[in-house]
Amino acid sequence: MKTCKTRAFTLVEIIVVCGIVTVFLGTAIMLFTNFRRGFSRSEGTAVLMQDGALFLARLRTDLNNAVIAPDASGGTPAQINTTPDQLSFMVYSSREAKALPVIYRYLAAENGGSIFRREGGEKERELIKDRVASLTWQTELERFVEPDSTGSGTIRLSIGLDMKLKMKSGDEKPFSLKTSIFPARLNRQLNSP
Amino acid sequence: MNKTQRSGLSMIEIVFSIGILALIMLPVFMTFSSGNRNIQLTDSEFRAHTAAIELMEQIVSLPFGQIKSGEYDSDTIIDGGQFADGPVLFKLSPVEDLRHTLKIEDIKRDGKTLFKKVTVTIKFAAAPGSDRIREFFMKTLVANENL
Repeated sequence: MKTCKTRAFTLVEIIVVCGIVTVFLGTAIMLFTNFRRGFSRSEGTAVLMQDGALFLARLRTDLNNAVIAPDASGGTPAQINTTPDQLSFMVYSSREAKALPVIYRYLAAENGGSIFRREGGEKERELIKDRVASLTWQTELERFVEPDSTGSGTIRLSIGLDMKLKMKSGDEKPFSLKTSIFPARLNRQLNSP
Repeated sequence: MNKTQRSGLSMIEIVFSIGILALIMLPVFMTFSSGNRNIQLTDSEFRAHTAAIELMEQIVSLPFGQIKSGEYDSDTIIDGGQFADGPVLFKLSPVEDLRHTLKIEDIKRDGKTLFKKVTVTIKFAAAPGSDRIREFFMKTLVANENL
């Protein structure tokens, strides 16, 4: 008596299963690659956003501590000086108990500029490195006079900031930020009777 | 007597196992896509936060007498709209898909205004093109310096 035990797959079964597995794996790999690309792009955007947020927070804190300080000649200089590549003003330093100059410097470069900050006699520090696509800052000083007022009006001082950050690879979405900062202490000091 | 025993996996078994595998893998891929979505949301939140601070700082910088109580929305404060009956114009950077709301209330004691309570609310879309609206608000008190 002869018993024939077939324990292997047939060729057709193997081909069909291989086909299904290929389609499944192909889809999975494609999805994974897409997600990875999207994720790395988002990660780059998040890094840019963090850079921008830290710079903005730093500048806002400094401007909130900005004070009117007479210069060496005894005159009243413009309290916030802006040039295309520099932003400087005086801040009150509680550590040294006196007003110190703070200088923000923008170094433009074709592949991405950098922003530096220096306080008093300290060493200049880099805030954003090689990621600034464009940056403009300007001091805006406005005066509002109430219609029925005899006073000189309200002075409002602000810094208009327009910044664009981008990664060197260029795949990521650039991060743009346009806002105005109104230093409260300086404005109150300017408007004090 | 010829007996054929086939003990391989059937097609149905394989198809089922692939289906189960796909179900297991789905949450893994969902994690990636939700990570991306969260970064987009953080971006919107950051913009809303920046817009709120920009408006709040302008009010806090004003002399107390010029902070006029009332409720204002985007239409009255954007595009140089007048701040109540005062001479000061708001200066707001144009931001897409954001709605500003501003509420200024008096806090009085013995007939005198001691503080102004300033509330800035920013409404923004939860995701680009989404109908779901998220809200971000910020409150502060401004003390009357003339008392």
